[in-house]
Amino acid sequence: MNWGSFARGLISFVILIVLHYTLRPLLGWRAPIDFLLIAVLLLSIRVRPGAAAIIGFLVGLIADSLTPDSLGAGAVAMTVVAYLASWLKAVFFADNLALNAFFFFVGKWMFDMLYFVGEQRLSGVQLVQQIFLWSPLSAAATAIAGVLLIVMMRPLLEPSQA
Amino acid sequence: MARPGRSNARVDLIMLAVCVALALVTRVLPASLRQPISSGMRRSVLAPLVMLQERSELSRRALMLSGPTTQMRDSVTMRALTVASLEAENDRLRQVIGLGARLKWGFVPAEALHGRSVRDVTTLTLTAGSNAGVERMSPVVSAEGLVGVVENVDPTMSQALFWTHPDFRVSAMTEDASAFGIVQAHAQSATSAYMMELRGVPFRTTLAAGALVISSGLGGVWPRGIPIGRVVQEIKTAEAWARTYLVRPSVFPADVTTVMILKPDRGAKGLDNVWTSAAGITAATNRIIGAGDSLARTAALAEAAARRASVTADSTRAANGGVATPPPTGGVVSPPRPRPRPVDSTRTRSDTARVLQVPPTGDSVTNRPGAVR
Repeated sequence: MNWGSFARGLISFVILIVLHYTLRPLLGWRAPIDFLLIAVLLLSIRVRPGAAAIIGFLVGLIADSLTPDSLGAGAVAMTVVAYLASWLKAVFFADNLALNAFFFFVGKWMFDMLYFVGEQRLSGVQLVQQIFLWSPLSAAATAIAGVLLIVMMRPLLEPSQA
Repeated sequence: MARPGRSNARVDLIMLAVCVALALVTRVLPASLRQPISSGMRRSVLAPLVMLQERSELSRRALMLSGPTTQMRDSVTMRALTVASLEAENDRLRQVIGLGARLKWGFVPAEALHGRSVRDVTTLTLTAGSNAGVERMSPVVSAEGLVGVVENVDPTMSQALFWTHPDFRVSAMTEDASAFGIVQAHAQSATSAYMMELRGVPFRTTLAAGALVISSGLGGVWPRGIPIGRVVQEIKTAEAWARTYLVRPSVFPADVTTVMILKPDRGAKGLDNVWTSAAGITAATNRIIGAGDSLARTAALAEAAARRASVTADSTRAANGGVATPPPTGGVVSPPRPRPRPVDSTRTRSDTARVLQVPPTGDSVTNRPGAVR
């Protein structure tokens, strides 16, 4: 990855972070779009799995700081998801929107499962309801938003020709 | 060639393991340690993002509340629109209560129901009848003044003629009793509708605009002292021996809601100081101010007289070769008494006027077949 590609990836990363803290609260959906996860996934596929794990850890830790009781849960989930995304990047370099949507969906769902299990705030029926109802809905919303963003931010996200 | 790749994979795995281990350590940290870490991140790295999130949530809340806020604003606007009418009604009721307190006894409160349109009212239906002690020809008054007279009485309600009725008459006089006349509705033109006219004022008497016209009590129906209206201007009529004045009524038909029906014995006892207390306070205030002015004028005159006496003494001493002339009375120069105020020849004492006037009598609702009186 050259510097130009890195810079464009960083810009799209910042845009997605800003969207996460502006558009998501504005929409206020019960199954929210996770722009943070989209940002981490899009950055992870451009770096090595180890670096992706570090990015996931840092982003997860920073996001967790807003909920001190679950500090670390998001970091674990984001680290694992980012590492796996980077490890599977060969698969998702394909220019296929449906595949990218599935990539975002699985990534978000896995993140939620790891997060809510690690957080240990929900249990029993509530946990099942969260993981098998609200998390898939949120993952679907995230996948749709991710695909739309890929289409809209294609000039920023496509690999450098050099 | 495979060696570096395997090595990199191992490094990646190590990094993953380290990150996961750190995250798990963070997860199991006691709350006392988690709190400073998260607080530090919120205040540093996350501060601008938290600010963005806060603004977004405020915007969302504003969007969510825009509907209820609009409804609330509309409700407040609607209430604000009714506030003026409520205040007016409150004032009116307060005045009526004040009137009742001043009348003390001998009256029946009633609501006035406008029979036809408000702009074309000559009769009123009152929500009190003979069961409440209302009798035919009982005066109907409000806090502002004269309203009308009861014409028909039912057990539970009664019918009253408003002063706008063409047959309505009331014997009237000015507040200072300088002029007497008959007040009736003035319906000469559409623009002067709901005005009154004071007829039969002697030609030698001129009334100033704004003079208060009250009932004179000479007709027998209306007790003396009920405000009728204020003089607006003189109007020309065919009568050459008397003047006629246009009078702005104290009570307009649209304003009549709550009224008092005076019982005959209350009217007979007189209504002094019922409507005139406010005017009396104003007159007393004016008198006090006038007295203060007189005292100041007297003091100024005394000072001037003393100064004049001093100058005269100096002149006398100079004429006598420096020998001072003693003052005439014990060394005290008494100031001359202020000159008496010139008598205003144009002003006539009210009692004189009362004697001179030949008041026309007859507040009535006559002049028609089968008249009330």
